[in-house]
Amino acid sequence: MKTTFFALFLFLITFNSFAQKANYTITSIPDSLKQNANAVVRLDQMDITIASQRSMNVKKQRVITVLNDKGLSDIEAFEHYDKTTLINSIEAIVYDAAGNEIKKIKRKDFRDQSAVSGSTLFSDSRVVYLNYTPISYPFTIAYTCETQTSNTAFIPTWYFLGGYNVSIEKCVLNVAFPSDLGFKKKEFQFAGFNIKKTEETTTKLSYVAQNILAQKAEDLSPSPGDLFPKIIMGLEKFHLEGVDGTATTWEAFGKWYGDKILTGTTTLPEETKAKMKALVGDEKDPIKKAKIIYDYVQKKSRYVNIAIGIGGWKPMQASDVDRLGYGDCKALSNYTKALLQAVDVPSYNTILYGDRYKSNIQSDFVSMQGNHMILAIPNGDNYTWLECTSQDDPFGYQGTFTDDRDVLVVKPEGGQIVRTKVYDDKGNTQKDKGIYAIDENGNFSGSISIVSEGSQYNEKFRIEAYQPTEKESHYKEYWDNINNLKLGKIAFANDKENIRFTEDVQLSAINYASISANKMIFAIDVFNQNNHSVKRIRNRKNPFQIQRGYLDSDEIEVNLPAGFTIEFLPENYELKGKFGEYKTEIIKKDNNKLIYKRSMFLNKGKYSNKEYDEYRLFMEQISKNDNAKIILTKN
Amino acid sequence: MKLIKIFSISLVLLIASKTTAQEFKLGKVSVAELEQKIHPKDSAAPAAILYKKGKSRIEFDQSDGDFVTLTDVEVRIKVYKKEGYEWANQAVWYYKTSGFVEKVSFSDAYTYNLVNGKIEKSKLKSEGIFDETVNKFRGQKKITMPGVKEGSVIEYKYTIKSPSDRSIREWNFQETIPVNYSEFTTCIPEYYVFNSRQKGYVFPKMTVDKSPKSIIFTSKERSEGRVTTTTFSTDKIDYIETRTTYTAQDFPAMKEEAFVNNMDNYVSSIQHELSMTKFPNSQMRTYSTDWNSVVKTIYDYESFGAELNKTGYYEDDLKALLAGKNTLEEKIWVILNHVKASVRWNGYTGYDCDNGVKKAYKEKTGNIGDINLMLTSMLRYAGLTANPVLVSTRENGIALFPNRTAFDYVIAAVETPTGYLLLDASDKFSTPNILPFRTLNWSGRLIRKDGTSEEIELTPKKLSNDVVFLNYKVEADGKVSGKARRQCTDHMAMITRERIDGVKQEDYLEKLENKNGKIEISDYSRTNEKDILLPTIESYAFTGNDLCEIIGGKIYISPMLFFTNDKNPFKQEVREYPVDFGFPQMDKYNINIQIPDGFAVETLPASAVINMEDNGGTFKFVVAQNGNTVQFSIASQINDAIFSAEKYEMLKEYYKGMIAKETEKVVLKRI
Repeated sequence: MKTTFFALFLFLITFNSFAQKANYTITSIPDSLKQNANAVVRLDQMDITIASQRSMNVKKQRVITVLNDKGLSDIEAFEHYDKTTLINSIEAIVYDAAGNEIKKIKRKDFRDQSAVSGSTLFSDSRVVYLNYTPISYPFTIAYTCETQTSNTAFIPTWYFLGGYNVSIEKCVLNVAFPSDLGFKKKEFQFAGFNIKKTEETTTKLSYVAQNILAQKAEDLSPSPGDLFPKIIMGLEKFHLEGVDGTATTWEAFGKWYGDKILTGTTTLPEETKAKMKALVGDEKDPIKKAKIIYDYVQKKSRYVNIAIGIGGWKPMQASDVDRLGYGDCKALSNYTKALLQAVDVPSYNTILYGDRYKSNIQSDFVSMQGNHMILAIPNGDNYTWLECTSQDDPFGYQGTFTDDRDVLVVKPEGGQIVRTKVYDDKGNTQKDKGIYAIDENGNFSGSISIVSEGSQYNEKFRIEAYQPTEKESHYKEYWDNINNLKLGKIAFANDKENIRFTEDVQLSAINYASISANKMIFAIDVFNQNNHSVKRIRNRKNPFQIQRGYLDSDEIEVNLPAGFTIEFLPENYELKGKFGEYKTEIIKKDNNKLIYKRSMFLNKGKYSNKEYDEYRLFMEQISKNDNAKIILTKN
Repeated sequence: MKLIKIFSISLVLLIASKTTAQEFKLGKVSVAELEQKIHPKDSAAPAAILYKKGKSRIEFDQSDGDFVTLTDVEVRIKVYKKEGYEWANQAVWYYKTSGFVEKVSFSDAYTYNLVNGKIEKSKLKSEGIFDETVNKFRGQKKITMPGVKEGSVIEYKYTIKSPSDRSIREWNFQETIPVNYSEFTTCIPEYYVFNSRQKGYVFPKMTVDKSPKSIIFTSKERSEGRVTTTTFSTDKIDYIETRTTYTAQDFPAMKEEAFVNNMDNYVSSIQHELSMTKFPNSQMRTYSTDWNSVVKTIYDYESFGAELNKTGYYEDDLKALLAGKNTLEEKIWVILNHVKASVRWNGYTGYDCDNGVKKAYKEKTGNIGDINLMLTSMLRYAGLTANPVLVSTRENGIALFPNRTAFDYVIAAVETPTGYLLLDASDKFSTPNILPFRTLNWSGRLIRKDGTSEEIELTPKKLSNDVVFLNYKVEADGKVSGKARRQCTDHMAMITRERIDGVKQEDYLEKLENKNGKIEISDYSRTNEKDILLPTIESYAFTGNDLCEIIGGKIYISPMLFFTNDKNPFKQEVREYPVDFGFPQMDKYNINIQIPDGFAVETLPASAVINMEDNGGTFKFVVAQNGNTVQFSIASQINDAIFSAEKYEMLKEYYKGMIAKETEKVVLKRI
């Protein structure tokens, strides 16, 4: 008996270590997967088991071969936890290039740290992460982790190709769920990737993805989330921080959110209500009333994010915000809503993705989505949108953080998907009007007025609040084509009513024109040179996009030094194409005076990879012409 | 250097008379403070510290039965603008390891607002107080103040109780906003002697007074007879307490600048370190008071000196490696490479060992102490005179004062007939005397076996060179084609190797092309990439359609093409702090231009020389024409690694002159 047992035991061991060796040697990776890769995902398996509306277990197994130090970030051996999400187990094993185990990392050797970051003041969310110092490259890490949570409102997204320069040998997704919870899923960007659905029943779903090559990052690409394959999943009957939820339609979801989460959060002290009524006085127009209230909120409050438990999803009580004067996006939006209620102006909590990169709430997939909240006030057939976390934004201005995207407006009767304001390319303007003179030594002095509107307003209006040193460095960066720049008087006008920001700047620079022998050479376009270089990319693979267009127009009076004649003047220039229109014109007023006119219009748009070179050449022509030189000869 | 001022000023301060201190008390916020719209001395300030008072007392704690450190801090802050709202959130960290737990508590925290001419105050309640576990060693208490608006005044108080009798925290007299008044007091019993160290560009005033204090011990004694009686006895011990108060008035806000080593070096602050204890009826104990005793203390650490003496774990390996290696250079090189190959740096600094050399060697990973003490030990084993050198990294700031925390890093030094060779095995591109940039920070301290020490200059004296040979011809249509060869030595070579390390050649070239006027590169080759004792050499052929301009039928060429420096890195008008380049350097360009047939030179830039004062640097621009070829020799040599703020204007002018010269054009005309 004894001997048999021993033999069996031995056999198991050898079998195991053999299996590992076979799996994790570097030589077994096909060359095609090493191309452009810093790391190779050998296996990424996620097993999601939803036992009930209030119980979800996620097992992750990720075996990754790191080829060089840039691939370290692809290990992704970290897990978040909090009071409702527990980590049952977490472990990692390191293998060398030959597939031999060299280190075992247990939970206690992982770091455990508070996950409070950036704009968050306090959160009970924590993170456990692996901090491994590689001894040599390549090496392989096999990471396993199991978590358990009662929150089924968020099923992890299957998004295995998280970025660039990483390739995939095999990825597996297995989901098991009770048939009566209304499990649903949506696939994105599967085309061109080797992904197979291996099982789909009323209680199971499985996918396998294999042999996906590493991609290189390319400028102006859509975000990886819009390029790489992913599956989002959800339940019609879910649970969130102690609250059961139902979502079959946006209407129903909105109703649930309003009834279960938002309800009872908008009570205010009578005193505050009376104060609001007094503030609006006899004003009848709801939008004008809203403007008064918004101004009050902006002066009174500040953004502080505290996320504890349901507080991550449920707004703070309006009465608390009223007393404390701070809150996060939900709290401040909800508070503003409560104040508006007091003066009989209806408004709706609006859930969306807040980011410069435009990203939609998936309108055909009803689930908990979004990362931000704003307020929508009905205004005729449209809405006026209020960003309640900002103390500076003009009333109803969306800038570039919430514009032009699908959002969920939560009305008492239910949710509704709506598009936020689209800023027209031709309305994103910058108008420059200026004057400058060059003296006989090539020194420059001038002044300019820059008026920005539309989404360009957003890029500019904060300059006013900069510290003096920050202002100085901003302008020296903005006009980095002018060496030895010296700034004179700077004045601003922020017209929030018309959303127009004006900068009046006086400036000078010695040696602006370069002088060789009896000639003076300088670029005539001083104030608005487009010198953003568009990279040359050989064999571009991905499409590209310009998210926001703009229109710049300049009119500059140029005074030339006395005692010089113009030897050469750049010709008028015009360029038109699908990307936009560009035009410059030089008008000779008299011997020493020129008028320089320039206009540049760029369309927003989505383009194919094939069109990239055309775009690059378009922009290069513009840069080149913006740098066109004038030559003067001394008499 | 301005830092020298520190010492002269602190001498003067010792005899400075006591100034009449302004009265500041929590709760006494005035209408004038609330009404103030802008800071009177800094109109752009988003907020200001109206006053900040701290007191660290070393006191006997009855319940602990030992001396502890108590720190009380009171702060009043004025918020002028929305950008100052961040000052309404505060955090104070504390230690919480097993056996050493500090306590932080906030109290008396209010926000004051002026509402219709009346002062309104809102109290901070528990809902705005948070306790966060940062990691295994530290926690932090955070507060967020209620009702903060533009114009608000915030007040709060916090107390730190530390079980240690020597944890007086560093006190900063400056912030990123103006400080109207800052006061720090230490109350230290006669049994303790602390060294106080001030740094910065502005200094607080100091006053000292002594007063008698006493400790009363209450002890309980129970006598058990028929009836149990408890008798209390008290003992009283008298001692003298020294109170030292530092006051700062109207200190300006700290402003970030480019090319600064570490801003923290310039913040006005005071640190305390225990130098001696003398308790009644016990021996006097000295701690670090000067560099020699600091060094001795460190050397005596188990994790330092003892680790240096361990040799068994590597002896066999090293014997094999050293066989046949006779010269000093050979031995150093083989050992340095062995340590680099055997142990990877885990990213943690520290002059002493984390894992211990033996474990680090076995597990192939360790902190700086593990790696470089192992290196030192091996060098000694090979018969060389090798010693550790304590270093403060740039991140840690300049080691101004003798104390154990002044350093956070260690390297090795080998004595040679021509001077010291400094070595660091934590960086794969480091070679003898070419240390990683993080260590190039003033001076380190070498420790010998006998406990003596010596200051070691870390700032390199030798020029690091970046030499470019550029040979090209210009076509009549403005097309340029030619060859470039770039050779970098020492620190420049190190930077180059870091830049190319692990980057695929294809990606590297794509970047190089895009950065250099969209040239097209062919025949690219590298020499000595792995041979790190030698200069790096990159050679390639290039063509470019956009490298010169044709204006009115004439060709305008910037002789340096895509190597032209056309932007002055020094844009700032005024400079507060020194400019730190890290190491002296020379950029040199040897250029040959072949002009197209049918063209002749119309104008050439003239030769020129620009010299900085005190031999700080030289720019030489030499032109020669020979038939159809134009030759340039252009060199900028910066001899100093660090320039004081007084020399900023000169440095800026130097770059201005250099850029004007480099951007001058060669003009070719048709003949």
